[in-house]
Amino acid sequence: MKKLRFYLAVWCAKLSIIALKLTGHKGTNFPGRVVLKICPDFLRLAKGPGKILGVTGTNGKTTVCNLLISMLKADGKKILDNNAGSNTITGLCTAFIRDMRLSGKFRSDAAVLEIDERSSRVVFPMMAPDFLLINNLTRDSIMRNGHPEYISRILTMSMPEKTHLILNGDDLIASGVAPVNKRTYFGIDSLEGDVKECINLVNDLQICPKCHSLLEYTNRRYHHIGKAFCPECGFHSPECAYSGRNVDYKDMTIEIAHNGESRRYRLLNDSVFNIYNVVAVVAYMGELGYSPERIEELLEKVEIVGSRFGVEELDGYKIIRQMSKDRNALGSSRAFDYVSGLPGDKELILMMNNLSDAEVWSENVCWLYDCDFEFLNRDNIRNIIVTGPRARDYYLRLKMAGIDDSRISFVHDELDSPRALRLYEGESIYVLYGTDSIELAEKVADGVKRKIAERSRG
Amino acid sequence: MKIEVLYPEICNLYGDLANIRYLKECVPEAEIVNTPLQKKPLFLDEKVDLVYMGTTTEQGQMLALDQLRFYREEIFRKIDEGVNFLITGNAMELFGKSIEEDGEEVCRGLGVFPGIARRSSVNRFNSLFLGTFTPDEADSGAKAGEGAEAGTIRIAGFKSQFGFTFGEESDTQLDSLALFRPQRGPGMNRYAAGEGIRINNFFATYVIGPLLILNPPFTKWFIREKLGTPVESLAYEKAAMDSYTERIAEYEDPKTGLYYWGGTTEKWQE
Repeated sequence: MKKLRFYLAVWCAKLSIIALKLTGHKGTNFPGRVVLKICPDFLRLAKGPGKILGVTGTNGKTTVCNLLISMLKADGKKILDNNAGSNTITGLCTAFIRDMRLSGKFRSDAAVLEIDERSSRVVFPMMAPDFLLINNLTRDSIMRNGHPEYISRILTMSMPEKTHLILNGDDLIASGVAPVNKRTYFGIDSLEGDVKECINLVNDLQICPKCHSLLEYTNRRYHHIGKAFCPECGFHSPECAYSGRNVDYKDMTIEIAHNGESRRYRLLNDSVFNIYNVVAVVAYMGELGYSPERIEELLEKVEIVGSRFGVEELDGYKIIRQMSKDRNALGSSRAFDYVSGLPGDKELILMMNNLSDAEVWSENVCWLYDCDFEFLNRDNIRNIIVTGPRARDYYLRLKMAGIDDSRISFVHDELDSPRALRLYEGESIYVLYGTDSIELAEKVADGVKRKIAERSRG
Repeated sequence: MKIEVLYPEICNLYGDLANIRYLKECVPEAEIVNTPLQKKPLFLDEKVDLVYMGTTTEQGQMLALDQLRFYREEIFRKIDEGVNFLITGNAMELFGKSIEEDGEEVCRGLGVFPGIARRSSVNRFNSLFLGTFTPDEADSGAKAGEGAEAGTIRIAGFKSQFGFTFGEESDTQLDSLALFRPQRGPGMNRYAAGEGIRINNFFATYVIGPLLILNPPFTKWFIREKLGTPVESLAYEKAAMDSYTERIAEYEDPKTGLYYWGGTTEKWQE
């Protein structure tokens, strides 16, 4: 009976894909919803193609998955992924269905799956990843994810015994997940700009997980990410099997040591987040049995692509669209820190409002007070345009960050926001947008280009 | 003025500590004392003008209770003496009778008020909150300034929590101690007529925001009447009032949904 339901689910979902195509609908998760309606334990019965390689955590999941997929494909592997859909159970089912033949067999050799950390509770009892990388666990959406300790607890409670964990050893919340599971740590020994004290508003691990005394850090990157120890009981960050060090920002490479051997690998971006992403993917490939030489070769072949970052130049101005996750204090803090640290004058359009929240209720803005808007209080940020449904909240928050009125512009409608640009010669204009504002951000960037063109015409 | 923040190393979720950063900006002469878990709270031995404690994790609740339990009787005495407390988010649950998770008692609280916090280990409950605060009878509503109507002050904020508090015997026990009266959105639980607890100058509420930043009329009243500082205006008062006025209008609008289910497929189980 179970088998019959399984095949019925596969066929109906396959039909739904054809129907979606014929009617011109996107419906990226619809086939998954069909499958689960007919066969709720579809994932358990489907088993998956060969190895199941999972990636979860708060930030960097998509980038690590993209890198991993590109490298494995460059190595000639057929990979199933959920890039096109969501990272919850319906998205995973949709990805499986798309890869399956009518017989229920998979076309691919392995699956690389981005798994929403909160969904692990419903996914893992049905599908045990062979490997699971946890990049970090930090504050995310207050409404959905609460706090990282809660997410760590969910992951620990639902972790399958067989899953080999690849963990960020510089994140004591992530590295403490499912302590009985087989594990490999990766991390970065030291980075330019490391500090001892936390300079961020949010620091989610201030006390020792063992004795609850205050922790100290030798090398802190940001928030609670770095090398920590407890002066009272001796607890400390784990030793990392893959250790990054000696970043060369000119050559854009990082040295990663493993098993007594060091090799330099290409970096794709100089932000700390992305340096960690490269160390993570090198560790992942290493644990899959790839040699350092081969990992280096494969990494040379990949690029970070996608809708989260875009740069254009027009009449001496740079227009940069950068996703800065709404309702995610840490993600936005990292974006602010990175953008403000770049040389040159800039103007910012802050439009990280959550538009779907704005449609049905009113966005919970607590996260603004966990987010380091103080990074934007730098002389080279000459004008910050706050816009969208929560513009007044952003305005107040910027005032609390000590930013003078003369450097804040208030425009209620996002599409009108380019009008408030002052266009200082040779500057960069950043459009910082939220997770559901990709199209709107493109329209705003078009508005920026029109404003520049008007200026150029005189 | 001395403000003591209890256990900021663990009671620091959801932007709550910005309540204190804002108070410091409104009253620059205020001295902020952060008391970590290992230390005896200052207010037990010294005059402190405000004791503040914000939202924490579930483990943080246990750790804080492990400390506060030592001083239970002294805390009761300080509340009776009229020491000002402002307790936000789930820190309020520590002062009730007990905390339950998935139907099992996980710990006894301090018992300042007869409430039982019942939470889920999985589901989150999110909502907006719109309500009123009525100042002491001795105060005139006018002291609250702009935003006050007929002797009451409108309160807006958020709730983002794993559970609710119920009266030990009935919710009317809690209603009589309510800090705020809900107009839209839930009180202590979905059926309660009150939100938060007020016993003398012990103010506790599930409402986060941060409460003091989102509610400038309440904050002005609180600083003037409870902290005894005759501030003329708050920090960034115009910007805060503009945001407050817009938010109140938004929450009053019947088209604005009050409950948030978007982030989860599970429905809250009462």
